[in-house]
Amino acid sequence: METEKIQSALADITAEQDPTLKSAKLASLCSALWGERGVELVVVGGSAIEILTEGAYASGDLDMCHATKSSLSVAERQEIMGLLGAKGGPRNWQVAGMYLDLLGPVESFARTPYRRVEAPYGEILLMKPEDLLVERVLVSFYLGEDKTARKCAKILAAVALRQEIQMNWDEVLRVANRPEYRNLPECAKLVKEVADELKIKSPLHSD
Amino acid sequence: MNSKSKVPCIPIEGSISWEDWLKGRRARRETSKLVAPGVIRRKTSSSDKRLKKLFNGERGLPFTPTEKL
Repeated sequence: METEKIQSALADITAEQDPTLKSAKLASLCSALWGERGVELVVVGGSAIEILTEGAYASGDLDMCHATKSSLSVAERQEIMGLLGAKGGPRNWQVAGMYLDLLGPVESFARTPYRRVEAPYGEILLMKPEDLLVERVLVSFYLGEDKTARKCAKILAAVALRQEIQMNWDEVLRVANRPEYRNLPECAKLVKEVADELKIKSPLHSD
Repeated sequence: MNSKSKVPCIPIEGSISWEDWLKGRRARRETSKLVAPGVIRRKTSSSDKRLKKLFNGERGLPFTPTEKL
């Protein structure tokens, strides 16, 4: 990407006051710059959930992982982030009025593709909602009740049940049954609760 | 596209255009609010110190009101 285009994108992102747009645009720019060097980045965690749901959940930091086996060296990462006027590193930077955290290799169990948004500076990959839902349900009860994680799981289930995002419910079942989670009853209960609130049939219940 | 609601859907296969993603923002927010009203941003985290310093005591920028999406 040419320096002029990078600077123009950076000015746009810095001026952006909508937190979700800001996050998506920064993810787009970073994905494009990493992509030019052969590394695919994925937006994960709460940042991905915000872009998928608009649920007013994410904080002012953008979490990304690399989907390709290798990432960039520390020097290459600093070189790219230097182009963006970022402070800090080598895994966390303050850039364009927010934080970017690069968390390492992505962890996913779902056999569905990453969701893709054609964002202004390049396509962004989003963590699979099947993984995100099962993970949030686990966090909502595993170390004691976590009401925020539960609300987060509910908004993800809700937008999927209303088909505003496409969810592969068979994959939700499979991932929730994996030894890493084993939380299918809790997932099914939460999805049923949300489905009842929305007066929609739960795809995780046959009756 | 969801044929019932005409809200652009984020698909499993392929990608959603930026314009369609923007178009779906309000509907997704409204759906989210049906089951979890208000701002559900975590109150605290290990990133509190840096976030509150950057966002004037908050943990991020304020969310755009639903009616402005």
